[in-house]
Amino acid sequence: MFYVSIFFQYMSQYVKTKLQYRTDLFVEFLSDLMFQGVNLIFILVVFGHTQLLNGWTRDEIIFIYGFFLIPFALFASFFNIWDFNERYIVRGEMDRVLTRPVHSLFQIVLERMELESLLGGITGLVVMGYAASRLHMTFHWYDAVLFVLFVLGGTFVYAGIFISLASISFWSDARSSIMPMMYNIGNYGRYPVDIYNRIIRYILTWILPFAFVGVYPAAYFLRKTEWYTYSFLTPVMGMVCFTLSVLLWNAGIKRYRGAGN
Amino acid sequence: MYAIEVEKLRKEFKSYSSRSGLAGAFRDLFTRNYKIIRAVDDISFTVKQGEMVGYIGENGAGKSTTIKMLTGILTPTSGRVVVNGMNPHKERERFVQTIGVVFGQRSQLWWDIAVQESFRLLKKVYRVSDQDYNEHMDHVIETLDIGPLLDKPVRKLSLGQRMRCELAAALIHNPPLLFLDEPTIGLDVLVKLKIRQFLKEINEKYNTTILLTTHDMTDIEALCERVIMLDEGKIIYDGSLQHLKQNWGEGKQIHFQFRDLVSKEELASLVHVTWEQGEDRYNWIAHVRANDMAHVIGKVVSSYELKDIHIREVSTEEIIRNIYEEGIHYG
Repeated sequence: MFYVSIFFQYMSQYVKTKLQYRTDLFVEFLSDLMFQGVNLIFILVVFGHTQLLNGWTRDEIIFIYGFFLIPFALFASFFNIWDFNERYIVRGEMDRVLTRPVHSLFQIVLERMELESLLGGITGLVVMGYAASRLHMTFHWYDAVLFVLFVLGGTFVYAGIFISLASISFWSDARSSIMPMMYNIGNYGRYPVDIYNRIIRYILTWILPFAFVGVYPAAYFLRKTEWYTYSFLTPVMGMVCFTLSVLLWNAGIKRYRGAGN
Repeated sequence: MYAIEVEKLRKEFKSYSSRSGLAGAFRDLFTRNYKIIRAVDDISFTVKQGEMVGYIGENGAGKSTTIKMLTGILTPTSGRVVVNGMNPHKERERFVQTIGVVFGQRSQLWWDIAVQESFRLLKKVYRVSDQDYNEHMDHVIETLDIGPLLDKPVRKLSLGQRMRCELAAALIHNPPLLFLDEPTIGLDVLVKLKIRQFLKEINEKYNTTILLTTHDMTDIEALCERVIMLDEGKIIYDGSLQHLKQNWGEGKQIHFQFRDLVSKEELASLVHVTWEQGEDRYNWIAHVRANDMAHVIGKVVSSYELKDIHIREVSTEEIIRNIYEEGIHYG
């Protein structure tokens, strides 16, 4: 309860700060929108030529992409801590965080939130709607519940992976240069995994489970029964990933060396 | 009941050294040279509730490392720390509720939002009730004279204004123990005085324990009865400032400016004290004990023509410098 109230406090401060820089806000909004647009065009161009990709139709792939955008937007809004090493370890900001009576990771999530990324979620819904209407998809009432569960699962998979990567900074002073690579790998999860070879599929399922952010949960709504097991594993994977990453983080905090001053 | 209890506290860091050249960089990829540096070396001390303690030492002596262990930021390598009856890094979230921290070189406040918004956020974080907040903070805001700054964003404040706000922010939950790491660094005299005045006041009013690190000895003189001096991770002195001054700083310096050139030998044969040359051979400084002062001055004045004369007390700063240069020897 305390954490919820703190969350809203930080959020209202965030909004206030953003409103102070009106032009910034506008430019950001516009560039985000353009970024989403470019992504969409890319997908349409690529699948404009191939109507079938290993048994998946163009519209199905667009639907997966749309679904992927929603957990990704949630992740980008709250767990986008790719610059954790530079910002908190090298500059020693972690000192300040550790002198406050709130869990350190939660504080960092609050400080680093970027609510404008939620915009990507709306794009995702639009894309999904478009694909769903072309596929004449039908939904049950409980699909809404599953949708929320799957989206949260996917978000936590993403969050878990990136929190784990950030935790590595506690052990080594390596720069966050692997982060951009991770974003790239993350993108593989939005295409049907069976187009990749077995090793990559295995990695995307069990090692860096990005497939649980896009294709697996979306397969349920596309009624691809052969993937259902994976679809329903999504929330579990999210929980597991996130829990492991928090444990790793807590272990890392003990190793924090501080920055000299 | 002690506010701080430290026993055989030690912190070691692994420090990697890189080899030179490209070939060295390649070798570093596989095996890295490192040595273990002991930043804090088995120190023990206790601080009573309500004490104001100056924690001093040169850069790299281990002051900040100690403070970071006492505040739960760093995990000690070995030893026992009990602060406010708790183990700082084990019960971090409950523990930090009972301390206030000011790092002079780092801001606790949010850069972009107004000071009072920062305060409001911290009030939530520390779960302070409206009643407690108003009662306590009204007084703090008034004493630190930051009322007019409250609606400005932190980035628009001067350093002095910001420091006063930082101090207020550290006191929102009215903690019984306050850690100040170089709180007056870079501040002008007026702000320093205001901050010292304020610290004294809260110490008297709430019996707040204060542990202070600083390079400014006048801070220590104004505030602390007790100093703990650190050198290379070890405590080299723990006791009253008064005692320190009496043992190492007794005596005065008399600065004579002569009308004519004088040599050291002449002066030494006149009065038997330590003479030290000033800027040139017209200027000489005599190091004398307070009792001998009149005698020395009398002798010099009766034998030479003087342009100027002034007397200086040995400052704490100099005492500390002497101790670091020559090591501690009781006398």
